Amino acid sequence: MVLGIALWGPAVRAAPAEPKDAEAAAEPEESPAGLRPRLDFGLEARANFRNSERNRFPVSFPFRPDQIPPGQTQVFEETVNSGSHFELSDVTLFVDAVWGDGLTAHGKVDFIDLYDRNPTSTDHKVDVDEAWLRFGVEPDPATLAARGGVYLKIGKFPKFERQDDRHLESYGLVSTAFNRFEDAGAELGINLGRHLYAKLSATQGNPVFLRDPNALAGDNGTPVRQQAHPDPELKSGIVILYDAEIEDIDADGKLETGAGLGYKIADEEGRNGLDVLAWGYQRKLAKKVELEGTFYGGDLDLLNGPNDTPPILPIKNDDKREVGANVWLYLGGLSFFGQYVDQKLAGLPRTGLEGEVAWRLELPLVWAVGDRQLFTFIAPAVRYSKLDNDFRNAAPTPAPSFAWDWEKIDAGLRLGLFSGVDVTVEYADNRFILASGAKRKNNELLATLRWRM
Amino acid sequence: MAGLPATAALSSPSLLGDRSGGPTCPPSFTAPPRRRARRPAATIFRGPPILILLLSLLALPTHAEEIQGRVQLLARGGQGPARGSDVRQAVVYFEPAGSPPARPAEAAFEMVTRRKELVPRILVIPRGSRVRFPNQDPILHNVFSVSSPNQFDLGLSRQGPGKEKRFEAAGLVRVFCNVHHDMVAYILVLDTPYHVSPDADGKFVLNGLPRGPGKLTVWHEQADPWTVDVELPQKPPGPLMARVEIVRPLIPSHLNKLGQSYFRSQRDRYNNR
Repeated sequence: MVLGIALWGPAVRAAPAEPKDAEAAAEPEESPAGLRPRLDFGLEARANFRNSERNRFPVSFPFRPDQIPPGQTQVFEETVNSGSHFELSDVTLFVDAVWGDGLTAHGKVDFIDLYDRNPTSTDHKVDVDEAWLRFGVEPDPATLAARGGVYLKIGKFPKFERQDDRHLESYGLVSTAFNRFEDAGAELGINLGRHLYAKLSATQGNPVFLRDPNALAGDNGTPVRQQAHPDPELKSGIVILYDAEIEDIDADGKLETGAGLGYKIADEEGRNGLDVLAWGYQRKLAKKVELEGTFYGGDLDLLNGPNDTPPILPIKNDDKREVGANVWLYLGGLSFFGQYVDQKLAGLPRTGLEGEVAWRLELPLVWAVGDRQLFTFIAPAVRYSKLDNDFRNAAPTPAPSFAWDWEKIDAGLRLGLFSGVDVTVEYADNRFILASGAKRKNNELLATLRWRM
Repeated sequence: MAGLPATAALSSPSLLGDRSGGPTCPPSFTAPPRRRARRPAATIFRGPPILILLLSLLALPTHAEEIQGRVQLLARGGQGPARGSDVRQAVVYFEPAGSPPARPAEAAFEMVTRRKELVPRILVIPRGSRVRFPNQDPILHNVFSVSSPNQFDLGLSRQGPGKEKRFEAAGLVRVFCNVHHDMVAYILVLDTPYHVSPDADGKFVLNGLPRGPGKLTVWHEQADPWTVDVELPQKPPGPLMARVEIVRPLIPSHLNKLGQSYFRSQRDRYNNR
């Protein structure tokens, strides 16, 4: 998309930036005229300090002796990369081209993409996160549509029920498991007046895979693990089942269909609003989805486990179904996002519940540097998430954590340093109940310096 | 305008300017520095001083009327007094029927951006006057208004003397900053020089008013205007009581200059649509 817009060179003219933050909002904008779009480019970079507890849990799966790391007598699920680390986790380029209210093109490309990569060490380091065209106007959650109408979005885009306004850098268990990543296809939005709305989607579906819910996904199925006595630098992580990134455009005809019906009330200025959305998805699981950097396959291949052993999970069919409900609430600086999901994954029942509350306080002007206020806002946030897996492992498994029950509390504070620069410090209290009933933790401290322009 | 000392005296800067701390720009028509205006009679008739004095005395009764009254702010629904709303922020003005409009001030008024506030919060000016918007903050502001036909957009401005805007039409001008949602101020562009703000008890006196019919208005930023027709001298004489219901919050609901939500523009567009 970036290339496409660049090729239009003579036909387009760059317009001042669209509001990315409060101060940029002041820049004047030109109205698009005719075929000339208003172009908006953005850049975001994230640098992190991460401190991950070291934890490991024995796996009873009968690995061959040459599959066991040197010096060990058994294999563990263990923290991906424990200890303290400084990381440049992401550089993202954005481009938007807007032709009035009628047509919008959006592209988002991630470089490095450390916390989205899976496997962490061998997945793509450049990823086109989003690339879509939209005909019509799509109101934000908890904002009123200007009028009734329809929009159509095609390409690769976030799921319509995904949390659009995040206050922490980490993800909850539900947002990791069900809608963290973009999908490719088409989405139709229908505004039935200003309050009632419906969403319909047909997409290829995100492959079911495994990852650690903390910052790093983990290294599973990487080439180094096919060597005798593998000793990878990055470990497996303590993993859950989740909807992973799509790797390419797959048009095999097995689409995931989704529908949502929502109702919202809000004031005209978008300061206060309530939005409730009920939604559902279904699709057929593929026998195997090839994924970059791992010899594990996604979907049924993962749920069945290794080929030469009995299925590791008591799967019953190839259906994947989710129904859920979302709530967005805004009251001045207070915001709440909640999501409940009930899933049947190849007949495996599991439910998820997540809620995040945040309070954004604008700070008074005390110091300034270069026409910009220093210390612009402070926003504490707390998120609770829970994943109940109502099934048991069917056989010795290399990933017993699939069937554990999980609970995660993320608490943090975001401080605006300058316009476009903020720092977020958060702690993840990540708990789970093992098959034995024992309760364990795998906690993590994450500090993120985020810079946007 | 300047020939109405009684009115000017009542338009105490402390009443209008205190809250926003505006010694820089004392509000009311006396605000901008300017030459002392002369009475029209003295300006036109250049006769012997005694004759001028007699004519002036003859003219006095037509500008000797007054209106006394009290403004009471009521809570939403009209039940009981309003809390948290300052009656001194009200403006009471009298528009005589058929009288010539107020003349614009020669010097520009000022509305300053200071500590992320617009100071003064309420500025009353005669139609045709200019207002300068200096930025005393070390950060960028973008003062604008979409109040037609006095709308304006000064664009981003750094610390400095700022730009001027002339207000050619009478009416209320809601002033905001496109960067900071909570910066709110009002410019009341009047076609009459007769205005005053109540004291802390809500009491006001408008004097030096011309005889005859006219319209008295009580304006408060949180209320709908309260208006009554008045014939001067009042029959029977006595104070007016204006009960004004508070219907809006101190920071009113408003969009940015592009008609978009301030709050959605601050949200995490990088993570969404």
